[in-house]
Amino acid sequence: MTTLRILLVGGLMSYRAMFNWLSPWILIPSMIVSPICQILLFAYIGRSAGVGNDEFYVMGNALNYAAIPCLFAMSATIEGEREGRTLSVVLTTPAARIPLFLGRALPVIVNGWAVAMVGVVFGLLVLDVHIPGSSWPALLLVITVASASCTGLGLAMGAVALRVREGAVLGNVLFCLLLVFSGVSVAVDDLPGWMAAVSPWFPLTHAIEAAREVADGAALADVIGLVVREIGVGALYAAAGLLLLRWLEDQSRRHATLERV
Amino acid sequence: MTAVEARDLRRTFRTRTGVLRRTATEVEAVRGVSFDIQRGELFGLLGPNGAGKTTTIKMLITLLLPTSGTARVLGHDVVADVREVRRRIGYVFGGDRGLYERLSALDNLRYFSELYGVPPREQKARIGELLEMVGLTGRERERVEGFSRGMRQRLHIARGLLHDPEVLFLDEPSIGIDPVGARELRATIASLIDVGKTVLLTTHYMFEADELCDRIAVIRAGEIVAEGTPGDLKRLVTVGSVVEIETYGVGEAAVADLGAITGVQSVAVEERGQMQVLILHCARDAEVTQAALSRLDGVRVGRVGTREPTLEDAYVELVSRT
Amino acid sequence: MKQLLRQQLVCYRLQLKVITTSWFDGALAVFFPLMFATATLLIYGVRDDPEAMQFAGLGAAIMGMWTCQGVIASSLLTRERWAGTLELVVAAPTSMGRVLVPTTLALSTIGLYTVVATILWERWVFGLELRIESWPLFVTSVLASALTLAQFGFFLAVTAVRYRASWSLGAALEYPGWLLCGFVIPVATLPDWLHPLSWSIPTTWAMEAVRESAGGGSPWRDLLVCLVLGSAYAVLASFLGRQLVDSARRHATLALT
Repeated sequence: MTTLRILLVGGLMSYRAMFNWLSPWILIPSMIVSPICQILLFAYIGRSAGVGNDEFYVMGNALNYAAIPCLFAMSATIEGEREGRTLSVVLTTPAARIPLFLGRALPVIVNGWAVAMVGVVFGLLVLDVHIPGSSWPALLLVITVASASCTGLGLAMGAVALRVREGAVLGNVLFCLLLVFSGVSVAVDDLPGWMAAVSPWFPLTHAIEAAREVADGAALADVIGLVVREIGVGALYAAAGLLLLRWLEDQSRRHATLERV
Repeated sequence: MTAVEARDLRRTFRTRTGVLRRTATEVEAVRGVSFDIQRGELFGLLGPNGAGKTTTIKMLITLLLPTSGTARVLGHDVVADVREVRRRIGYVFGGDRGLYERLSALDNLRYFSELYGVPPREQKARIGELLEMVGLTGRERERVEGFSRGMRQRLHIARGLLHDPEVLFLDEPSIGIDPVGARELRATIASLIDVGKTVLLTTHYMFEADELCDRIAVIRAGEIVAEGTPGDLKRLVTVGSVVEIETYGVGEAAVADLGAITGVQSVAVEERGQMQVLILHCARDAEVTQAALSRLDGVRVGRVGTREPTLEDAYVELVSRT
Repeated sequence: MKQLLRQQLVCYRLQLKVITTSWFDGALAVFFPLMFATATLLIYGVRDDPEAMQFAGLGAAIMGMWTCQGVIASSLLTRERWAGTLELVVAAPTSMGRVLVPTTLALSTIGLYTVVATILWERWVFGLELRIESWPLFVTSVLASALTLAQFGFFLAVTAVRYRASWSLGAALEYPGWLLCGFVIPVATLPDWLHPLSWSIPTTWAMEAVRESAGGGSPWRDLLVCLVLGSAYAVLASFLGRQLVDSARRHATLALT
């Protein structure tokens, strides 16, 4: 029961504490205007290059932009604490680490999901996107899985950011790598060989493929393999992040590195 | 000759709250402040947070327009002759902002030298002198982001002096500096007066003001409530002596009770860790210690002492009068 | 005059130092558009049409300039405000414009760097050799893009400083700029109602001039329009800048504490 409370209440509280400075003046440009503009940019590039269709770009870029809150919010919940000198306070509590950090991931996943949905709905309303009604449950699930696995990467990134300081740069770099490698705007088949070889190791790659198939009418059963692999990739990064955090905590007890800002 | 002259300065702020239905509230930050600072004088402006010290300084250094009233610095009006005023004044504020973090100390000084039009030929020597004066020689090529608060503060002072201003405005320069650093800072400020600068200083630290200032104005809620030399201010306070009683776990009722003793003019409670120090301002020749102790029956009492009033006592009384 | 030049030079050099020593403003401002350029070139590359690649390659090269100059400029003053240095700069006897001009020029330098870096990237990674009919005209057009974008950035800087969260505004300007200026999408394919907006940005004309000079046409008409537009923004910006400082003195909005 305690674990559950740490997971839910603790996660939500720390999320609100970190982001209470996010006013509508920041939220609207960064969570609504930007994803829509990115979708438009690539949809138009695709149109003028004569490659792909609107739906292809809407699915890819909507999910890609979900990575922004997933990466930044997740790593900020960890990194921001160091800046506020509260991380050591949290770490000295006896609360179990895994529910502590996974609890922080839950609101982040919801946030990423919402940003992706902004993109999808925009595509439906303004661009040439049509999703059969029966595909919606599967699509919503795939989007949830995508933002969960991105949040896994965000957890790993937050752990790394504790050491390298430049969290914002790191987040942008990862976002860009996802853009190029995860089949966001260029189908994995069209990527040069070595790029296509690494793309399955990035989160989003499988989810984007699954989302495109579902939007074209595939049933959940048809894409279940992709969904499972997406979950696997996300879990891999999350596990790596948790291990890294454990290691950093150990290190910091020995060398007092955690508080060095 | 007068270096700074403020006449009935007033400043109101409008703050708006709410996103959709905006409601405006007006706050009078400075309500008719007048004073004169003579050349070569170190003038202190004391007051609690939010009393209007910084607002007053910002009007004098041309960053804020007064709502009404006038001010002149070295004979130049702060509203009309902006450039003339800016050329002749230096401004230093406390805290660790106001520097380019990613530049070295030297580059920060170079940058502002250019903005203040320090002649290129003099720049190098001037910067060297100032670094020496604030004790940063040898560290000038390091980036500011690695500097401690004390070092930043000293760099700020060097920056404020680059163009050899005649009048210097120091807004809480010693905030957040350790005691040794603060002592060095006071020595630096005192040396500015020796070379003939005029300084307006705001601070929270009474001993600092007592040690440095020729004259002090106490500002409270945007108005000057007292002005004079530190000695004048101490005399202004009507107390004869101050009785301090250390207690552990004294209640509010007991404090009120102490205030009722004849001869006691005011009682203040200061929390120091687990104990509360009761500070009783007493009338001249009043013997209150026994009476006070008898009323504290049942409360654990530590040391009890009597002393002469300090500038701090004067300040506390001035800013807490209603 | 000599003093002014020196001041400009020192401020330019130090501001360039501030930008290039920051991972966020320096390295990322080059990397981010480069990755978008890469994605764009990958899309155009699917069809394997040399005409289309030439179009995309030229646009991708100039795209980074928008990020380095327009986007970063819009948060320039806000950043000084956060650092507490804006007050000190205003309190100095040197006018605001004289401080902002070298700063925007420093950003242009990074912008020009991204052009060169992207062209080299296109050559090494994509094996794409841009066909440039007239190098002198091409270089002139690129320089004109940098200059007019600096002027436009100056305008964005003074406009955006009133907006507290202007860094997020800056990021939100990135994609619209890429969409509107015709870097990798012909302006004509955008909806009609957006065309006036495209034409009101000097960079749209600069991009056109770059394409003309690479293709062997005459860029002079486009260059003229872009310089006139850029100067108009610069004049407007210095007027707004003065207004801004005046209003900050009236309303106490210089420091952000």
